[in-house]
Amino acid sequence: MNMLEIKNLHASVEGKDILKGINLKINAGEVHAIMGPNGSGKSTLSNVLAGREDYTITEGSVTFGGKDLLQLPAEIRACEGIFLSFQYPVEIPGVSNMVFLKAAINAKRKHQGQPEIEAVDFLAWVKDRVKKMSMDIKMLQRGVNEGFSGGEKKRNEILQMLLLEPKLMILDETDSGLDIDALKIVAEGINTMRSPERATLLVTHYQRLLDYVKPDFVHVLAGGRIIKSGGPELARELEEKGYGWLDAA
Amino acid sequence: MLNNITTALEALPALPAPRRAALDALLKQGLPGKKDEDWRHTDLSILDQLSAADIAPSALNHDYPSAYEDGLDALNTALSGGTQTRTLEGKVELDTGLHQRLKLKVSGDVELVLQDITPSRFATFFAEIEVAPNSRLRLLRVQQADSQAQRLTNLKILLARDAQLDAVTVDLGGRFVRNDLYVHLNEPGAGVQLYGLYAPTGSEHVDNHSWIHHRAPHCSSREFFRGVVSGSARAVFNGKIFVHEKAIKTDSETRVANLLLSKTAEVYAKPELEIYNDDVKCAHGATFGQLDEDAVYYLRARGLDRDMARALLTQAFAQEIIEHISNDELREKITQRFLSRLPQGNTSGKA
Ligand SMILES: Nc1ncnc2c1ncn2[C@@H]1O[C@H](COP(=O)(O)OP(=O)(O)OP(=O)(O)O)[C@@H](O)[C@H]1O
Ligand SMILES: [Mg+2]
Repeated sequence: MNMLEIKNLHASVEGKDILKGINLKINAGEVHAIMGPNGSGKSTLSNVLAGREDYTITEGSVTFGGKDLLQLPAEIRACEGIFLSFQYPVEIPGVSNMVFLKAAINAKRKHQGQPEIEAVDFLAWVKDRVKKMSMDIKMLQRGVNEGFSGGEKKRNEILQMLLLEPKLMILDETDSGLDIDALKIVAEGINTMRSPERATLLVTHYQRLLDYVKPDFVHVLAGGRIIKSGGPELARELEEKGYGWLDAA
Repeated sequence: MLNNITTALEALPALPAPRRAALDALLKQGLPGKKDEDWRHTDLSILDQLSAADIAPSALNHDYPSAYEDGLDALNTALSGGTQTRTLEGKVELDTGLHQRLKLKVSGDVELVLQDITPSRFATFFAEIEVAPNSRLRLLRVQQADSQAQRLTNLKILLARDAQLDAVTVDLGGRFVRNDLYVHLNEPGAGVQLYGLYAPTGSEHVDNHSWIHHRAPHCSSREFFRGVVSGSARAVFNGKIFVHEKAIKTDSETRVANLLLSKTAEVYAKPELEIYNDDVKCAHGATFGQLDEDAVYYLRARGLDRDMARALLTQAFAQEIIEHISNDELREKITQRFLSRLPQGNTSGKA
């Protein structure tokens, strides 16, 4: 079933064109990997999908579950099941992780017409997921990502994803800067979420993650366009040869 | 000028000679004006907008001083009916909604709450508090008057050897508010920790001026203020630290941080230092900013709507001060009041 359809998407920031005609179709149950050189527009695409307002959409359309995604504010997209794991998660001192997680869960429940989660259920739910991510529950008393190491921040992103149970998971370099143990934990987190009803968009620079989370499709994003698409073997080829041979093509 | 004050005082059943003298001193000296550096951003001529009925001077008479520091000192004396002296013990609450002039003595552990009990349009509350050696005063001043109210407070706190002042001040209301706070660290080992929050909104004006005098060796002072300013409100903060010649080994820090939630909000915030010896550790700084839009986006990307995201971030900013209120019930009430006054909707600091 078609979940996300991006057609001829153009986006610019401060008058500079960054996305120059992206076409991509993602069905439920699929895992798509996007690779590409630094500055090619991978994070821009991720943020445009999540609803960041710094970008101007100059052309094209995006539908999510048949709805016009670009009309929806970021928070409604989140409540409807889009989740972006940030390349650089934001530190929010003074807002505890617990307060934040509960607010996020309740925002989604409210959107779906459900009552707020019971305190005990919330705690049990969080404890279970925290354990899956091999995190220390004490970290959740701290401010959101406050003083977290790079790896801890990425784990915290996946923890939020496990709690919010989105339909479309967009992971922007969630694997970057992780040691091998953390990478395994993050990959397991992603894999537990894989289901026929969900889809995944993985932005990565490394084959390493794709060894754990097998993609169905691999796309190369360069200069604001998808210049090549293929199966998992394309990622290996890129790791060997880099991106230069594609430019020539 | 000040006809309303004269009318209100002359309407009292009796105006004893020393009280009449206070009024005369006020009329002679006048109120501080814009040329006075400490009153550059706060214009007392607004007092003229009060009707004689709004002035509500106290009908009681107490002790009258023989001289006045300035026009305001005379104003407060005339309106309050002079100085009342009290020794404070345990937990005490005093009414800042009335004109009062107090001389208070603290020894041992005292918890003092200053807040409006009587709702009023205008009040001047002046208090001098002497804290005995090795004693501790926990002071909470909460100002949440309505949006018409005018308030002038003046606190002078004198700390003896090893005496401590833990103070939290909160301003969440009032059309026109000026708070003067003087702390005198008079003997070795005295210390002050002062946390302040001001959050004017609408067309409110809140001015907090403080003077901390280090007059003896080995005293410490910490002053942390935060401001959240929205609407067309105006906030003024001035925190001055004086380190006198004898006050070696002074340890002092003043920080003020401001969050501006609208383009029409105004803040004047200045920490100042005046140091007369070089064996000291003094730090100070002021910051001004808007809500972190990256943080707002992050929260929205997790499903929180814009208002909620902004409220959560603003509350976190103010929490750094509010969390120092030790009374649970008051802390909770103040948090709710703070949140209820936050602007809703399209008030983004961003263009
Ligand atoms: N807010 C912005 N203002 C100005 N330029 C921007 C902004 N956001 C992105 N850009 C520019 O857009 C281009 C694409 O950036 P983007 O972050 O999408 O790249 P990326 O593919 O994610 O790169 P990386 O692999 O380094 O993460 C870059 O040239 C970047 O400098
Ligand atoms: Mg990127």
